[in-house]
Amino acid sequence: MSRILLIGSPNSGKSLLFNRLTGLSQKVANFPGITVDVGVGKLLDVPDTQLVDFPGTYSLQPISAEEQVAVAQFEKALEDDNVEQVLCVIDATRLEKSLYFTLQVIRDCEKHGKPVAVLANMIDVLDRHDLAFDTAGLSEAVGVPVLPVSARSGKGVQAIVDVVRHHRTDAGRVPGNRYLDSPDELLRGTAHQLAHRFGPKGDVLVRSQTRLDGFFLHSLTGGIAFFIIMFLLFQSIFTWSAPAMDAVEAALGWLADLIVPHLGQGLVSDFTADALFGGIGAFLVFVPQIFVLTFIVGLLEDSGYMARAALICHKPLRIFGLTGKSFVPMLSGVACAIPGIYAARAIDSPRKRLLTYMAIPLMPCSARLPVYSLLIAAFIPATTTLGGLVGMQGLAMFGIYFFGMVCALLVTGLISRTSKDHYTDLPFVLELPPYRVPGLEPLLRNSWNRSRHFVVKAGKIIFTVTVVIWVLGYFPNYGADLGESWLGHMGRLIEPLFTPLGLDWRYGVAIFTSFLAREVFVGTLGTIFGIEGADENMVPLVDHIQASGMGLGSGLALLVFFAIALQCVSTLAILAKEAESRALAIKMFVGYFLFAYVAALLTFNIVSLFTG
Amino acid sequence: MQTLWSLGSGDVCEIIEFDDALAERYRVRLMELGFHPGEHVTCLQSPSFGAPKVYRVSNTIYSLDDEVAAHVRVKRHV
Repeated sequence: MSRILLIGSPNSGKSLLFNRLTGLSQKVANFPGITVDVGVGKLLDVPDTQLVDFPGTYSLQPISAEEQVAVAQFEKALEDDNVEQVLCVIDATRLEKSLYFTLQVIRDCEKHGKPVAVLANMIDVLDRHDLAFDTAGLSEAVGVPVLPVSARSGKGVQAIVDVVRHHRTDAGRVPGNRYLDSPDELLRGTAHQLAHRFGPKGDVLVRSQTRLDGFFLHSLTGGIAFFIIMFLLFQSIFTWSAPAMDAVEAALGWLADLIVPHLGQGLVSDFTADALFGGIGAFLVFVPQIFVLTFIVGLLEDSGYMARAALICHKPLRIFGLTGKSFVPMLSGVACAIPGIYAARAIDSPRKRLLTYMAIPLMPCSARLPVYSLLIAAFIPATTTLGGLVGMQGLAMFGIYFFGMVCALLVTGLISRTSKDHYTDLPFVLELPPYRVPGLEPLLRNSWNRSRHFVVKAGKIIFTVTVVIWVLGYFPNYGADLGESWLGHMGRLIEPLFTPLGLDWRYGVAIFTSFLAREVFVGTLGTIFGIEGADENMVPLVDHIQASGMGLGSGLALLVFFAIALQCVSTLAILAKEAESRALAIKMFVGYFLFAYVAALLTFNIVSLFTG
Repeated sequence: MQTLWSLGSGDVCEIIEFDDALAERYRVRLMELGFHPGEHVTCLQSPSFGAPKVYRVSNTIYSLDDEVAAHVRVKRHV
């Protein structure tokens, strides 16, 4: 099959053009560095031809390992005999930024004898402002076709198809050796001259962008706008997605009620009810939240605001080895680590992306809330202070949330200062894209794709772990007594590990099962104490825990443990996929377990000193 | 010698050279983006609290923090 290569600088609209040409739905956004994988799709209207979309790069001289991979893949593809043509996308509104890269691409194509065409995208923006771009003149000067196109409106897309169809004719001719021996320095100078000679004149586009930046980046108005936008983002995660999450939960419950009674009593029925609807259902509930968050984050990216938010947050986060681009992933992590990890894709510096991955699981996610609520209700008195203004339980909840965030920053701060890894760091050089009105269809399509990715990719691992834990808890007595199951025996086996925290085997088992999802801790304790529906009504469980003789030191130790430990198989599965490193996921799981254990041990001993 | 980082909002300058302390790969990237010696740069925003500043080069707007901007030597236009 013939192959056409699509390459361009970041934020040149390349992915949207790829979608136009293939009918696929590659993630697009008004934020540099969104394409991180090589995408492949069949070219519409041209049989037996594939279009290969490469990640955007500012030049063919890479400065990070990831850029190196992208450039090496492109160079290798040029040697492939099946590659018939290269399409280089440039942003027609900011010609100088793209032309140096374009000349490098033309030079490489000359070297390999591949035809190349330049696609001057965003021509609709120039048309709207009556700005002229001499594409014919530029084409004559660089010796390859330059086609005015608009990926957004579709203008000029048919001309690209025609060029591809007839690439052996004049329209897609093999370039002459105009730049073959030109060093980068010369290309840079040539790009500068060409941009001034043929590019649009005037600064009307920049002036309108500057006016909006004057508001959004102003110390006062920018701060207020940032606060309001982030408040709405947070609301979307917690409040707006809640009805959809409840609906999924209700639908799964309805389905379980419909199916399970027909399965009779026994293994199949128990497996369906507990492992399938209980275990898998618990993770499917998060799908609406991921959809809503991806939609809102996409909205911010497409509008151009995300780059401004990164700028505003950069300075304080830099102290802890992070970047302004880490803010939204970390904020998302307060709802659920999974969308946060997805959002970290937009961080271009591999080192800072890694540090952000490390921070996200420590952010106080919503799955910790039931655990915190149970332990606080059991160990913190429901009294008030400061004349009734401040409740002790509320203060404890605030304290444990704050503790998680502080831990996240301290961990990244420490690792960034002490670790010498192979991950490349990049400076904070952020292109501020023009403000645009986001398109609804790409946003919805992207949110749908991300949600589907979550279900398909994480689902397999989550299903496997769910089945293993269910089998351990079900056999050998067929679910009659969790305490006498293999899981119960394992709990007793690992009891010495938790004894120094003042915890017995029952809490060990609950910690073990909470690896599925943290909130399972509450349900498991309920099962062990013989309380039905403990996750719906915690009061009887609180009474049992208080009566079990567990002290304040153990309760606070458990709180600290859950604030730090990475007890979530879904997060680990997505982390391994996104970071393309199972080793990283395992190291983080082990590392945070040890950190959580030591912190809990310290908490227990310090509190015990004061309480006896 | 003034640097990009020392510019205030509305200041226009010409890039003179890069400081030796700036890593080669960062220097290359800056030049690819248009920050090359002789180029005119306008500082559009200089936010409070040491946040990254906003610069215009040709028709593109970038934000740089002090780790980079403090190593770009410039001559301010009066």
